[in-house]
Amino acid sequence: MSLLIYGTISSIVLALYAAGFSLTYGISGLANFAHGALYILSGFIAWSLLNQVELPYFLSAILSIVISGFIGFAIYWGLLLRVRGIPLAELVVTFAAGVAILELLMWKGFYGIQYSLPLFVEGGVEIGNVAVDYQRLFVIGTGVVLVVLLYLFVHHTKIGLAFRGMAQNERTALSVGIESDWVGSLSLALGSALAGVAAIVILPMGLMESAIGYEVLIYALAVAIVGGLESTPGIIVASFILGFGQVATAKFLSAKWMVIVPLVAIIFVLVVRPSGLFGKYKELEERI
Amino acid sequence: MAEVGARYRKKRLDRGIKARADTLFAIASYKEMLYLLLPRALPVIALLILPIILTGYWGKVLTYACMFGLLALSWDFLASCGLFSLGQALFFGLGAYVAGTLSYYLHWTPILTMPVAILGGGLLSALLLSPVLRLRGVYFAMVTLMLPLLFMKMIETTGLLGGTHGLSALAPFPNDWVARYLAVGAFIIVLFIFRRVISEDYGLVLKAIRDDDRAVMSAAINIYWRKTQALFVAGAVGAFAGAFMTHHYQFVGMTVFALDYSILPLAASALGGPGTFAGPALGSMILVPLSEALRALGGLRIALYCFILIVSVIALPEGVFHYIERKYHQFERLVRVG
Amino acid sequence: MKDKRFLILLVMVFGICAFTFLTPTSSISAEPIIVGVPTSIYTPFGRDGLKAVNMAVEEINAKGGVMVGSEKRQIKVVVTDTRDGEPTTPVHDALMAYEKLILEQKPHATVIAPFRSETIIASMDLVAKYKVPQLQTIAQTPQFQAKFRTDPEKYKYLFRVTTDAAIDAGYLSGALDALKADFGLNKVYYIPQDTLWALGFIGVLRKHCEKTGWQEIGYEPYAAGATDFSPGLTKAKEGKAQVIAMVWDVPLGAGIFSKQWAAMKVPALVVGFVPPMAAPDAWKTVGKDVDYSIQVEFPVGASVPLKKLPKTVEFLDRFQKKYGKVPEAAAVNSSAYDSVYILAAAIERAGGLDPDKLVKALEQTDYRGVSGRLRFNKDHIVVFNSNPEETGVCVVFQWQQGKRVPIFPAFLAEGKPALPPWMKK
Repeated sequence: MSLLIYGTISSIVLALYAAGFSLTYGISGLANFAHGALYILSGFIAWSLLNQVELPYFLSAILSIVISGFIGFAIYWGLLLRVRGIPLAELVVTFAAGVAILELLMWKGFYGIQYSLPLFVEGGVEIGNVAVDYQRLFVIGTGVVLVVLLYLFVHHTKIGLAFRGMAQNERTALSVGIESDWVGSLSLALGSALAGVAAIVILPMGLMESAIGYEVLIYALAVAIVGGLESTPGIIVASFILGFGQVATAKFLSAKWMVIVPLVAIIFVLVVRPSGLFGKYKELEERI
Repeated sequence: MAEVGARYRKKRLDRGIKARADTLFAIASYKEMLYLLLPRALPVIALLILPIILTGYWGKVLTYACMFGLLALSWDFLASCGLFSLGQALFFGLGAYVAGTLSYYLHWTPILTMPVAILGGGLLSALLLSPVLRLRGVYFAMVTLMLPLLFMKMIETTGLLGGTHGLSALAPFPNDWVARYLAVGAFIIVLFIFRRVISEDYGLVLKAIRDDDRAVMSAAINIYWRKTQALFVAGAVGAFAGAFMTHHYQFVGMTVFALDYSILPLAASALGGPGTFAGPALGSMILVPLSEALRALGGLRIALYCFILIVSVIALPEGVFHYIERKYHQFERLVRVG
Repeated sequence: MKDKRFLILLVMVFGICAFTFLTPTSSISAEPIIVGVPTSIYTPFGRDGLKAVNMAVEEINAKGGVMVGSEKRQIKVVVTDTRDGEPTTPVHDALMAYEKLILEQKPHATVIAPFRSETIIASMDLVAKYKVPQLQTIAQTPQFQAKFRTDPEKYKYLFRVTTDAAIDAGYLSGALDALKADFGLNKVYYIPQDTLWALGFIGVLRKHCEKTGWQEIGYEPYAAGATDFSPGLTKAKEGKAQVIAMVWDVPLGAGIFSKQWAAMKVPALVVGFVPPMAAPDAWKTVGKDVDYSIQVEFPVGASVPLKKLPKTVEFLDRFQKKYGKVPEAAAVNSSAYDSVYILAAAIERAGGLDPDKLVKALEQTDYRGVSGRLRFNKDHIVVFNSNPEETGVCVVFQWQQGKRVPIFPAFLAEGKPALPPWMKK
């Protein structure tokens, strides 16, 4: 019973990590390997707004999400614009930007026990005989809502469809009137804002530290690859596989093997079926 | 938009000794011979003399720079074959651990461990990466990014081969001079061998695989076998760097698989100019001393690395080396138009 | 156009190079005594340790300095960040930083020393090669003594001025005994960090508990980068453990553990070393749930003022006056402070800065510092036991209503251990 509940929580946390990353990488075809850095950056922004500017918690949270969105926008115009279309260069440039952000945060002194976001509501409920606190319920709620909204957005709104069109074939999209620069920057802004949402909801459950940035990136990458880059149901299924995989490994093997699960999953999927579980099998583009 | 008339244009002329092609020169005097020899001889002479001039800390930096140079050269070799690797740390770490294990458990001296580490490291890297040879571009890069991390976590979790504490008190090189000249010598030799090989038939096939692999396949050449060979060579070079560092510092730990060893060769190649082996070599010779000199800045150092990497990739994709080469081989003049 | 941009970049790069080369590094003048601090400045232990060292140096310099032979000389601190607190820093990199400090700044001795056990062990050979005495005050690994014993003559320049995992575990065992005696608790679950020092710590604790009749519900090491302790906490809850013995030093995992334990409402006492739960701000950052948890502070004076040891109160008062708040981590800061005084005393005894003479003088150290009476044994580590007049001491404290109350050993206790209300049968 507790395995079920904590496995679910783990999985939804992974889905939240991956949502923003999948939106830009999977759905729009833009690599944003600074995702992890943006995640932790929005956490620190919220902390600063809360503790140094002394805004109320709700306002700091919303503001930090909006600011993350703007930073994502800026990353597109500043960095990605010039290397669009060269996937490896995009990867390298955004990854380097992410590392630079993380290192600058540490250099500025953002490390230590005092960097912690408060819980939204203290207390919890008992499900079965497992105590679940309100924050985790909030996480589950936000995760579910977010993924559903993402699916609807990507499949049923004009802008969402524009994202997908741009990833499928940029020339055709241009000839239909989808301005790829504007749409691309919008996609990156939304992806970063989603990272901010995930950060606000998940970070109160622990302390904030720059090293989380690398972790989140690896988890997001694992979910995106295992699930298949362009599919939203893929995110859900992959996060459940990885989440339960981790919790099961801890229960039946030993807790110290937990950290290996996402890495092994990425390598395994890339070797056997690079397009992931739900991705369209693109033989020509993946293999030689 | 209003028409802006160009007032000046840049005129570029090749120097007189170039005879039609980029690689053919017509020489008629010693001065012209020197013109061609100097860019090749000068770095070699400088690298051979520097270990004598630079002692102490900066001598160690020179060795460090040569090792990173080897990693960058190995990266460039793979890139010339179409394999974009984000995981040079894998080769480095494999070589380091083979040498370290042999030295720690069997008490072998560097003379024995180095050759075994080079060959062993090359073989292991080729074996590990051959299943993913069929993957294109980004996917291959991601696997190479994940593999060193996986190895690092595996060593941490299983505690084998020294676990988190690593293997220490390993056998050093018999003499500091031996170590330094070995590093510099290996660097120069590998640089010149790679430059030569890439313009011979063997290298041309590798470059063709990068440009259009289906064309090479249709010429009845087994591209997977060639790629595996390229992996072996690059892996061996990286393993040499790893084994050398193990003996130089007398220590090997799980951090030999760290991201630092993958990012720096990439930054060096991006800065220097990928494709020409001299570019990555030059890039690492600039970046490593720069980063050592900037140690006072603490964490800002890594941010600066990343900044240089980003600027190089975006604003200067051809690299420093190509720029220098172009300036050297051509006259450039601003000429008035009309 | 592109050429111009590139030219600017090139000029910038070479400008930075030239700037750093032309900026004078600390000149090796014969005047000040140079004390090097090669450690990981971005961890709470390194940062607060450095602050403690700076405070000690200021105090000594204010009194005129250290008497070397016949003249008084001031102490100068030079710092380098070995970055080994971050898990992915290559050890070679940390060693290069250390070596650069030794070769360029030419310190006469170093204090604090690298944070990670791996790096410390690897640096032993470096220190032996350059013969610069090192007084470690952070790393707790027992491997130091093991390696020292393999060649005491070669490694004689290394000293440890702080505790090690076995000592810390010994103190905690005493506290567990009290819990068993007072409240009849006997079910324990172990969650150590999967690094040698933490495993050693819990190992000693485990042996003790086996001998004294504790029932082991589970033993689960977690990788140092772990971020989810729910499987372990669930098992502890299902097995009805009454005590969770937890040892962790990486702030990330420790913070998550504290919050998860509070969130999952596991009815067990947390006993051990979890820095975020031992910090002065824990009531605010982790929450009121941190109440009743029992932590070991090694050695005394690191963060908790003890009424029965006035030197600790003095040290922490002065630290607070100078820096605005007490040190964050309940460990090793007082050792950093003491190490500077030990070094100064040894220099005066030796009458000079020659490394071999300095080593001999250090071996004769008998200093009453913040952490107790500090003397080295033949393995060059400070002896810790239970009498501050004879040896160094540590203390075990419990959070009671927002205050950290020392409960063990008896002569330092200011209160008795208490059971939380949700544990009373």
